[in-house]
Amino acid sequence: MQSVLFGNDAYEILRAAQAMANSVKWARSDGLVGAWTLLLGDCSAEPVLGADILEEIRAVVAAEAGELIYRVFGKNLGSAAGHNALAALSGAELILILNPDAIVAPDTVRSLTRAVTGSVGIAEARQIPIEHPKDFEVNTGNTSWASTACALTPRAAFDTIGGFDSDTFFLYCDDVDYSWRLRLAGYRVVFEPSARVFHDKRLTQTGDWPPTSAEVYYSAEAALFIAHKYSHPEIVEKLIAQFQNEGTDAVLKAVAAFHLKSKSGSLPAPLDAGHLVGQFIGDKYAVHRF
Amino acid sequence: MQSTASDVTVGDDRRSPQTATIQILLSELMSGPRIDPRLRNALESAKQLIAEEREGGVFLSVLLRTKGKRPEPLRDALLCLAAQSDQDFEVIVIDHDATPADAAEVRAIVAQQSTGFLDRISLIEVHGGNRGKPLNAGIRAAHGRFVAVYDDDDLLFGNWVEEFKIASLTSEGRLLRSLVATQMVKPELWPQDQIGFRTLSWPKAEYPREFDQLAHLQMNYSPFMSWAFPAALFSILGFEFDEELTVCEDWDMILRGSLLLGVTEVDSLTAIYRRWEGGNSSYTDHSKKSWAWSEAKVLHRLESSLLIMPGDIVPYLRKSFALLGVHEQLAGLLHSRAWRYGRPIRGALRVAGFVKRRVNGLRGAIEPSRAHEPADFAPLIHPVSDESLQAVVDVLDDVNGANDATGRTAG
Repeated sequence: MQSVLFGNDAYEILRAAQAMANSVKWARSDGLVGAWTLLLGDCSAEPVLGADILEEIRAVVAAEAGELIYRVFGKNLGSAAGHNALAALSGAELILILNPDAIVAPDTVRSLTRAVTGSVGIAEARQIPIEHPKDFEVNTGNTSWASTACALTPRAAFDTIGGFDSDTFFLYCDDVDYSWRLRLAGYRVVFEPSARVFHDKRLTQTGDWPPTSAEVYYSAEAALFIAHKYSHPEIVEKLIAQFQNEGTDAVLKAVAAFHLKSKSGSLPAPLDAGHLVGQFIGDKYAVHRF
Repeated sequence: MQSTASDVTVGDDRRSPQTATIQILLSELMSGPRIDPRLRNALESAKQLIAEEREGGVFLSVLLRTKGKRPEPLRDALLCLAAQSDQDFEVIVIDHDATPADAAEVRAIVAQQSTGFLDRISLIEVHGGNRGKPLNAGIRAAHGRFVAVYDDDDLLFGNWVEEFKIASLTSEGRLLRSLVATQMVKPELWPQDQIGFRTLSWPKAEYPREFDQLAHLQMNYSPFMSWAFPAALFSILGFEFDEELTVCEDWDMILRGSLLLGVTEVDSLTAIYRRWEGGNSSYTDHSKKSWAWSEAKVLHRLESSLLIMPGDIVPYLRKSFALLGVHEQLAGLLHSRAWRYGRPIRGALRVAGFVKRRVNGLRGAIEPSRAHEPADFAPLIHPVSDESLQAVVDVLDDVNGANDATGRTAG
């Protein structure tokens, strides 16, 4: 079980650990999980967890026969590199990737573990109270990509495709890319609605979700990179024109980042030339239910 | 209905918008210069008693009502509570009329919660009665300073308790009302064979952002979990949910409570009310007759009692009366002798207008360049049909909220 921290509230991390330990307890009682480790990678400028709260988390994990590893990275690696670094610290057969502010339910680990069978390369939990609108097949749960707000992936699948592409993606679309490369490698990507996770997102009084400028920047940058990586130069061109026309600092910065990577020759080699897995529907990477 | 400083005409604490309505009433009664000292003392005692808060309890008692038929939504509901940013609450899961197998599943779901949360959950089983009976059982088991009701198929944002608690610091015994969105779901079998559901829509903030006491007399625009009720409403003032009502028990309590204590607005979206497409809900579980009977009973109870309302409602009443006046004048005109006698003239004018439009149309066909030129003269009298005048009256009816059924929330 691994989370990348960045300036989180220490109490939030403790609560998330308590919920995780409880969920592991029920999965262990069904024989679905044996030895387990909670890996926390801290990308904050200053460590989030002090000695006291670390001991508290360690005790919570130990009560369910788990081990805590807290690694202070000392710099902001981003989500993809952070998770790759954490995955390298353990040899567990299954890797559960979790947002640090997400609270799992008692049966989340059990449901995800049951979902990861056969050719499933990653199983995504259902987020509440704001559910991700991606569509999924009724009987199989098959979906375009899996959000790593809370998702379980087998180590074998992770290693087969070399983990997350941290050279290209910093904060967004690392999970879209991970899912699509799994699918190119023959794995299935599934949404498991019976595995629920509380991801503390809130809406305005009018039901809107206004993004921050950082979210606009990182999602714009990721949109350019993923369109390039999945062999859609026409979408890259369209996005660049759209961002230049929009003209805000956040999106212009994203265009500059793309040009910089392009000039330095560090853009990823395009994949999926036949467009077998990459879905670009408007600014979405899947058919959405709503 | 949010009163503002400019609405307050009497500049002392008694008229503060953050004072419970009943406290204002008691203060008004005590303000008579020649009041009998015995009455003053009695009223003062009543004021103090009503203002008393439970000592040592948690902030909020959450009554989580379930029939045990929706285990997956119930798991969601409990997770939303476990993840609240403010954990100063207890949960009373009220299992109402569940079958033995369903009741066992509810107990198992509760037992799986993590220790720190499980310690604050109690489970009671209630048999028989209507929807108010389990709520009264929950009220009797509650220890919180406020009470909220949360059904087993709804969702909470992480700030539901926190926002209520912040508002309670200045609400002085009033009801707290936050904002709730709606979301469509439909039943569906999940990949691991659970009886689940599929979410169909983004949360929609469709209920009025501001509380309108008069509009709520028409129907309920505020889902149950919008509200936190001061415990004193039940423990001191002795309110109970009406156990005879088959539905609308929430509307009944909201109306009676808000009229007596007033309402403090919590201007944050804190919950999601799930609307089921093709599944069971209070709409499908109860007949139209049952709804009509319950609505009539709620209104009859109000009509048979004495209503007190805060003074800031006066401008709204005046506005309503003004609209009513226009309505009556129009209705009077429709039924006047002059209007009836004028019908042939209006008919002739309509025919003339029709003929003129036809002629212009034909002229346009022959001389296209003239088709869109303005008419040679504008008629001084625009013919008005009975239907269009009736439409104006209908619009006024709508303004008064008579025909709007979209805001109803399931009880």
